[in-house]
Amino acid sequence: MSETSPADSAVIARSRQEPEVFGEIFRRHAAEIKRFVIRRLGLDVAEDVVAETFLAAFHQRGRYDLSRHTALPWLYGIATNLIGRHKRTEARQLNLLARTGVDPVTEPFTPRSDERLSAQAVQRRLAAALVALPAGHRDVLLLVTWGGLSYAEAAEALGIRIGTVRSRVNRARARIREELGGTDPTAPVIEEVRHG
Amino acid sequence: MDDLARLNDFRSEVPARLDLRAEEERLLAGMSAPARPDFRRLGLRAALAGGLAAAVGMAVFAVRGGPAPAPPPPVIRTVAAVELLTRAAERAGSRPELRPRPGQFLVFRSQSMDSAESDGQIWLSRSKRTIWLPVEGSSVGGVVREEILAPLPYPGRPLPPAAREEQARAGRPGRPERAADFDHRAEFLRSDYAYVSELPADADGMRRHLYTRLPFDGLQDYEAWNRVGGLLQESYLPAAQRAALFRAAATIPGVVTVKEARDAAGREGIAAAMVSPLGVREEYVFDPETYDYLGRRGVVVDAGRAGAPVGSVVSSSAQLEVSVADSAPDVE
Repeated sequence: MSETSPADSAVIARSRQEPEVFGEIFRRHAAEIKRFVIRRLGLDVAEDVVAETFLAAFHQRGRYDLSRHTALPWLYGIATNLIGRHKRTEARQLNLLARTGVDPVTEPFTPRSDERLSAQAVQRRLAAALVALPAGHRDVLLLVTWGGLSYAEAAEALGIRIGTVRSRVNRARARIREELGGTDPTAPVIEEVRHG
Repeated sequence: MDDLARLNDFRSEVPARLDLRAEEERLLAGMSAPARPDFRRLGLRAALAGGLAAAVGMAVFAVRGGPAPAPPPPVIRTVAAVELLTRAAERAGSRPELRPRPGQFLVFRSQSMDSAESDGQIWLSRSKRTIWLPVEGSSVGGVVREEILAPLPYPGRPLPPAAREEQARAGRPGRPERAADFDHRAEFLRSDYAYVSELPADADGMRRHLYTRLPFDGLQDYEAWNRVGGLLQESYLPAAQRAALFRAAATIPGVVTVKEARDAAGREGIAAAMVSPLGVREEYVFDPETYDYLGRRGVVVDAGRAGAPVGSVVSSSAQLEVSVADSAPDVE
């Protein structure tokens, strides 16, 4: 956040009286949310999910916790819930990648010449590991990696306890390491401060 | 490359710059449609599940014509709040000052109890912790060591199965861990010593600081009160700023006094407090003789909003010790 622009919480508070102000939340965060949604579901579904995410956020702005200065965890939480309606799409694409090495999600963004052959084996195994995870574990893992959320923010985003976030990340990572061949079994897990 | 790095690399070809026109048009169209308030979501269940987020929604609802909150219990005398905070301000300089230098750490030892929630179940989660915070900069550079204490039932409810994990871990001292992965706080919410040392040392200036960028939406005084807490808990202000903070806090509308309060460690004191949108009286507890800050406590005054009996304690903390250290423990 730059020094001169108001925090998301201030924008949202104002949007309760002046709804059009909410457009600023879209301008600040839509690109990041859309990239996240595309990485999970692909370009085709992303437009619907992103539009619905911000509309849902707009309708829920009266309940936004104004002590949260950045709205990103909140938006990621809404987006993750909506992504959950497209589990089959997500699984179908991950399965395809795992089986064939062709990823329908990244295809529109990958030049034909760039085959990235060396990385392909890893990507196929990652896809296999991700599709095998329980949906709740995949949600948490991708929020803290692709979404860059702290454990506390992921807990806030999904309405679960921080301890649940921690255990899901740990289990999901164990699964992925197993799939990748146990390359780094001792990587430490970092915990976010729990603010009273 | 470890598993997380590989995962971060996975599908990273998706660019950061994306066409958003279709989504923006749909949002703008949806925003101009007539709004329908969602009354169902203002119920007790939502308030418990969503914590303060739901509570803030309820408060806005109340401000817009809902029932007025119940009058505070008779134990409270509003005029005395100014007196209490003024005394705390006057005594702010009576203790030997800590003078941490750049590169050192402020060490806070505390105990706390806060509500925790999982799968729609709620209970009170308790812990003891020591946190080493850098004199300058965010908590990312800090280290925390936490010991989980046995959880307690949320008042009026049984201890749910979801609390068992904490029960099993209770009493085992934790290992030192990084205090935070990152710190998104706005500049004006910083609470490191280098920053708070530069805050205004007069009540007016401090009051402006507490209200920085707060919209006047009916919740601003409670937000400002919350920010006072942000500067009291795991934060150490030089005496001049501490005195200004207490004088500024005394000017916040709605601050009341509680004659008999108690912190998370059971120490008795006198408190300055404000009732939150969730129907909980958020108290800052002071020693009745020295007026040192002891900790905070949340006491239910509106059973309907808080989802717990009036008078029950739903959160507390005790600041047990503040000291200066040259270094923080190593993080594994």
